[in-house]
Amino acid sequence: MSEKVIETHDLTVYYGKQLGIKAVNLMVEKGEAFGFLGPNGAGKTTTQRVLLDVIRPTSGRATVFGLDCQTQGVEIRQRVGYLPGELALYKEMRANQFFEMYEYLRGNNGAKGYWRELAKRLDLDTSRKIGTFSRGNKQKVGIVAAFMSHPDLLILDEPTGGLDPLVQQTVMEMVREVKADGRTVFFSSHILPEVQAVCDRVGIIRAGELVATQGVEALIAARLKRLTLIFANLPPVGTFAQEGVTELSHTEQTVMLEVRDNLSQVLAAAAQYGVQDIETHSASLEEIFLEYYGRGNGGNHG
Amino acid sequence: MVRLIWQELKFRRNAIIGWGLGLCFFPLVYISIYPSIAEEMAGLADLELYKALGMNLGTFGDWVGSILIVFMPLIAAIYGVINGTETLAGEEEDGRLEMLVTLPRPRWQIIKAKAIALTVSFILIFLVVAVVSWLVFLAIESQIETDLEGINLFMAVLSGLPLAFAVGMISMFLAAFCSTRRVAAMIAAAILISSYFGTNLANASPVLEPFAPLFLFNYLDASSQAVAEGQQVGDMVVLITIGLVAFILALVFFQRRDLTVGIWPWQRAKPA
Repeated sequence: MSEKVIETHDLTVYYGKQLGIKAVNLMVEKGEAFGFLGPNGAGKTTTQRVLLDVIRPTSGRATVFGLDCQTQGVEIRQRVGYLPGELALYKEMRANQFFEMYEYLRGNNGAKGYWRELAKRLDLDTSRKIGTFSRGNKQKVGIVAAFMSHPDLLILDEPTGGLDPLVQQTVMEMVREVKADGRTVFFSSHILPEVQAVCDRVGIIRAGELVATQGVEALIAARLKRLTLIFANLPPVGTFAQEGVTELSHTEQTVMLEVRDNLSQVLAAAAQYGVQDIETHSASLEEIFLEYYGRGNGGNHG
Repeated sequence: MVRLIWQELKFRRNAIIGWGLGLCFFPLVYISIYPSIAEEMAGLADLELYKALGMNLGTFGDWVGSILIVFMPLIAAIYGVINGTETLAGEEEDGRLEMLVTLPRPRWQIIKAKAIALTVSFILIFLVVAVVSWLVFLAIESQIETDLEGINLFMAVLSGLPLAFAVGMISMFLAAFCSTRRVAAMIAAAILISSYFGTNLANASPVLEPFAPLFLFNYLDASSQAVAEGQQVGDMVVLITIGLVAFILALVFFQRRDLTVGIWPWQRAKPA
């Protein structure tokens, strides 16, 4: 039986009268990379902060490693590496001083000095003061701090923000290695290709509510499909007008459709007009994400 | 824990040096100048205006009391307001506190380390000023008529420590309680200023006298007798108790505080 690493039951947070998250039910298993998707303000950071006991839920319950987030926070945090989305560091410290302090304060879980290896891998000069770093280098400091204790669970909030593409690739490799090691990753992002690249499952949060939780592949397979139908004689416009079907283009020999529903009727109509060839394209996670949200909706909820 | 305290002190190193040196201004200027203004001061002894400002003039002991037991702690307490609110609410607002509270450390340990670091920084600052005061006294001793000794000035400076401690802890409590650092600092400053003027007014007006125990400066005696013999133990205990109570309240409210969201305690989530 698989081990549950993160579990929330009807987790709800209000900031005064403002909704943060509402009745979020999540379950992340050991060894899984779970992508937590949503636009800014949808409730991703709020959920993570509850898991780490930075804020307390209005109602509902959250556990990590089977431990209660409110009463057993210290035990939980011993096994968690966290990269906050709004990273703030002690500017007057040198990076190596920061890592030494951090290693001491969090305990090294048998990974003493591992931060040196990580810093080298990310090409980070640890002898410099953090205040002199560019945004990308500060982000590297945060990434090293999150990974340095070999945590059983990594909670990463927008980990590649401010990084150049090469370093982004390195970070994604590091995440994949953690996963391959049987450890768990909770990966919050709105950069969908990277979520698609490393995550097994995704949860999509919208306006504080979890609207979908599914395996990445299953989600893509179950949702939008694009069909390109090639005909000898083009059927009239409106032939494929069905609920859940959008005609994207209608040219000399081809009709391009976006199909959410009624696929069999579409295929029946295509056969009726002597379809010669059918090409299918699954939608990317990005297209699914936009389908859930509509452009510009669903934010401003912490 | 010790590492956490040491780290806090390192973060405040510049502030400790700056405030320590800045507060040496009081003995270096106001005590060293006394021989040249002694006669003038004696003539001002009965002016009510100075009494209303909490200043006793006339003798060297009165002058020392006014400068080292009233003004120096007043300014040092401003350091308490700034750093007491910065160490919690300031770090919360700029995001650094989130990094700290997501470490496997209980919150009480973090606030305890911060409170100890603030207290140690007060002790360091007051010690520097106390030593400088003693040295200045040795330099001018031959030019003035007084029964005081260097140790009296040293102890007079240190007698302001409980007041600064109380203000620092009140500021920390307010930082843990209020929604923003700005509000916390504003209230702490208001308490400090009203305590200073409130004490002086209560001493000057019989109508206000019953309210004197409400003000922090009421527990600091700036008379020449207090410079020579030290403060009342009971008064010091009151100030330290106020500081400890404020610290316990800070501990309680910080333990329950929703961090990073800047809300008042009554707006926070009701526990499930």
